[in-house]
Amino acid sequence: MLLKFILFSNYSLFFYYLASNLIYLALLIIALMASLRHRRRLASIRLDRLRHSPLAPPITLLAPAHDEEKSIIESARGLLALDYPELELIVINDGSTDRTLDVLAEYFQLRPADLLYIPEIPSAPVRGVYISQNEPRLVVVDKEPGGNKADAVNAGLNAASKPYVCIVDADSILERDSLLRIMVPILADPKRVVAAGGIVRVLNGSRVADGQLTEVHLPKSWLEVLQVIEYLRAFLIGREAWAAGNMLNIISGAFGIFRLDLVKAVGGYRATAIGEDFDLVTRLHRYLLDQEMDYKISFVPDPVCWTEVPADLRSLARQRARWHKGLLDVLWPNRDMLFRPAYGRFGSISLPYMWFFELLAPVVELVGYTTIILAAVLGVLSREYFLQFLIYGYAFGTMISIGAVLQEEITYKRYNDWRDVVRLVLYCFFEHFPYRQMYLVWRLQGFWQYFRRDFVWRPMKRIGFQSGAAKK
Amino acid sequence: MDYVSNGALMAAVWLSAPGRLVLDAIIASTAGIGLLLSFILGRRAMRRQYFHRRDERVFALRQNWEAILSGAVPAANWRKEPLDSEIVEEMLLDDIEAAHMARHSGEAARLLNVLRSSGLLATRLHEATAYEGWRRRRALVALGRTRAPEAVPVLARALEDPELETRVAAVRGLGGTGLPEAAIEMLDRVAGRGLSTPGLTLQNSLLNCCQGRPEILRPYLHQPEGRPREMLARVLGELATPAMEEDILLLAADPLPEVRASAARALGVARPASAVELLSELVKDREWFVRLRAVVAVGTIEDARVIPILIEALCDENRYVRLRAAGALAQMGPRLEQIVSKVIETHDRFALHAIISEIERAGGVARLFSAISDPSRREDATAALMQALRAGQEQVRSAARAERKPAVVPKSAKGNS
Repeated sequence: MLLKFILFSNYSLFFYYLASNLIYLALLIIALMASLRHRRRLASIRLDRLRHSPLAPPITLLAPAHDEEKSIIESARGLLALDYPELELIVINDGSTDRTLDVLAEYFQLRPADLLYIPEIPSAPVRGVYISQNEPRLVVVDKEPGGNKADAVNAGLNAASKPYVCIVDADSILERDSLLRIMVPILADPKRVVAAGGIVRVLNGSRVADGQLTEVHLPKSWLEVLQVIEYLRAFLIGREAWAAGNMLNIISGAFGIFRLDLVKAVGGYRATAIGEDFDLVTRLHRYLLDQEMDYKISFVPDPVCWTEVPADLRSLARQRARWHKGLLDVLWPNRDMLFRPAYGRFGSISLPYMWFFELLAPVVELVGYTTIILAAVLGVLSREYFLQFLIYGYAFGTMISIGAVLQEEITYKRYNDWRDVVRLVLYCFFEHFPYRQMYLVWRLQGFWQYFRRDFVWRPMKRIGFQSGAAKK
Repeated sequence: MDYVSNGALMAAVWLSAPGRLVLDAIIASTAGIGLLLSFILGRRAMRRQYFHRRDERVFALRQNWEAILSGAVPAANWRKEPLDSEIVEEMLLDDIEAAHMARHSGEAARLLNVLRSSGLLATRLHEATAYEGWRRRRALVALGRTRAPEAVPVLARALEDPELETRVAAVRGLGGTGLPEAAIEMLDRVAGRGLSTPGLTLQNSLLNCCQGRPEILRPYLHQPEGRPREMLARVLGELATPAMEEDILLLAADPLPEVRASAARALGVARPASAVELLSELVKDREWFVRLRAVVAVGTIEDARVIPILIEALCDENRYVRLRAAGALAQMGPRLEQIVSKVIETHDRFALHAIISEIERAGGVARLFSAISDPSRREDATAALMQALRAGQEQVRSAARAERKPAVVPKSAKGNS
């Protein structure tokens, strides 16, 4: 019986990993083709004309901030310096316990204002709305702590006055032309394109001055470099490829643009959502498919948002556990969309992929490790099988990671120093041990926390932007 | 069977079926890694070498630039080296672009003659007709940058290519020339059988080519249907002149809302004599985005007649239209107090709050207060401020309750005076 189980487990694992890897390979090929096509097309679009065009739809930038006193000024200055004809910036101070509001008030000479604020989407009470006396495009919404980013964004959505909202993290840096670039698919097809996501990349290790990125470098520590590879893989392969088939399931909360009316129609961010960005996009898909609307949710790989990633294991563990909790928190309530013809490709390809190859991956991996240990204990472990399977997983995973580096190299090429590229490639070989196993534990922790209803927000340890000096 | 023989059996079963696949997968993956690594590192190394050499040649050619342009250094000397040829072409195209931007038509013509006399232009024309794929596409784009009239027929022929990417390159090339005859080639196809290329690319190219003579759009504006018609209207919206008043008038009555929205934009750009009257109709359009575009256009016109139009738009059912109208009104500094008074007369609380918000945002409240100290404006300003105070938060709140969804949360003392 046990032997049968082990044999069955071996076969199942093999075919699971084969399917997973084939899907990843297909995604890599689709992504490479999509980004090459995008770059060729981009060459014919005149961003300079858009930069001065009164036709460019106005955008409200929403930057929720919680205890961001170290970086909020540079961040706000960076956002206000973005190239775009008409934008307003709403910084939402989500009950910060530090001097976030004070530093904003001092720097931007804030004064209380009686602006129109209709809470169409519920959020924690707003304590006040401020406008700047030296920067007319800035509005600061000060609110009671809502306990999560979603609540802060919802308050910002109520105060937004432009037809498109771009949700960014206050601790992130957008490249100067990123708004122009993210608007390209919307301008090309304003009726169909209802939202677009940009790429999020790792800021650690790079230089920042005046809220703008001046020099791109890889971070020094192994933990951060491995996250660079993960981000490249997730964005340059995963999102690019899913978006090519209009099945994009996540627009990163750090940088995405949405039609305000639609976000309001679906009730904004779900305040109780753990993965609020994934949740919003899923609800948008559901709403638009229910309405039988012809729509597109795009991903644009060149508008770059640089964000700080956890530099210590503790913060990273918390973040990854939260991400996995968030995944479950979105997939479970939307399980009725699975394989329903009304939800098209999203319900029959994208969501099942998320279920089987993202959500359940740590469980399958755990079963795999258990089977191997069990087989070894019982003396039935075929060394040959074990070794082959190990080499296969290692080689294929490495190839996909190097594929993501290749995608970066032949298209966007932000790392100009060849030493950075060599390190990046080398780390592709080292991410399988012990990082992968640690990641497995964090994701299982996410499951555990979800089932224990442990939804407490655990903040990440931040370094803050260091002007003129490389971070880390 | 004991466990050991079970293990052996399993290994045997494994090796007979999926095991072989795994071995193949290992070999394929390892080969994949090797290829990817060699590609990345090899490409880096080659590019480094290439750019190093290129920098050296650019420097050397720049030193002799005037001699190359004047022909003192014969073209045959640098054309025999493919890298030199590529660099000179690139430099010539950049300089042509710069000369056009600086409106130095004489210099642009001189540079174009160098392209012609050196044979570079002929090479590109040949590549654009005799080759396929990326070589042809690169040639098409380069031909556009030359702005040579003889490139237009070659580029136009490429519009008929079955490959989308080639058609896109042709459209880009035609747009790059900035020539009206290039626009005519594109317009003929848009109005005729249609031209299947991404809308934004085509629109940009048409904008570029019609900039100098927007009237070439006129015969085509009313021919196509659907999306091409919308696209042409958008081009007109950017380039319209007062002389095109009649065309705009027709477009303003078009059944397609996107076309009417572009007509509104055109009215704001061209500002013909009838702009205010036409826009006053468009701000009542049934489509909100047409009304929005009309309000934006009205806001750009400095004329007292626009105030009542904007005040009416301030009571629009659509929030964006209201906010845009309020934003435009708030910018009308000297007339602020009369505007607030008139808004109060509408008895529309949302409109009032929208204008107060925008005046606050534009720093206009201080202006209203200062108006009180001016005897000639005191009466209007006082009335406006008093009414605004009375019709303030409480009324907005009750109005909001009456609405289906919205409700207003009272703001605490910290944030609101």
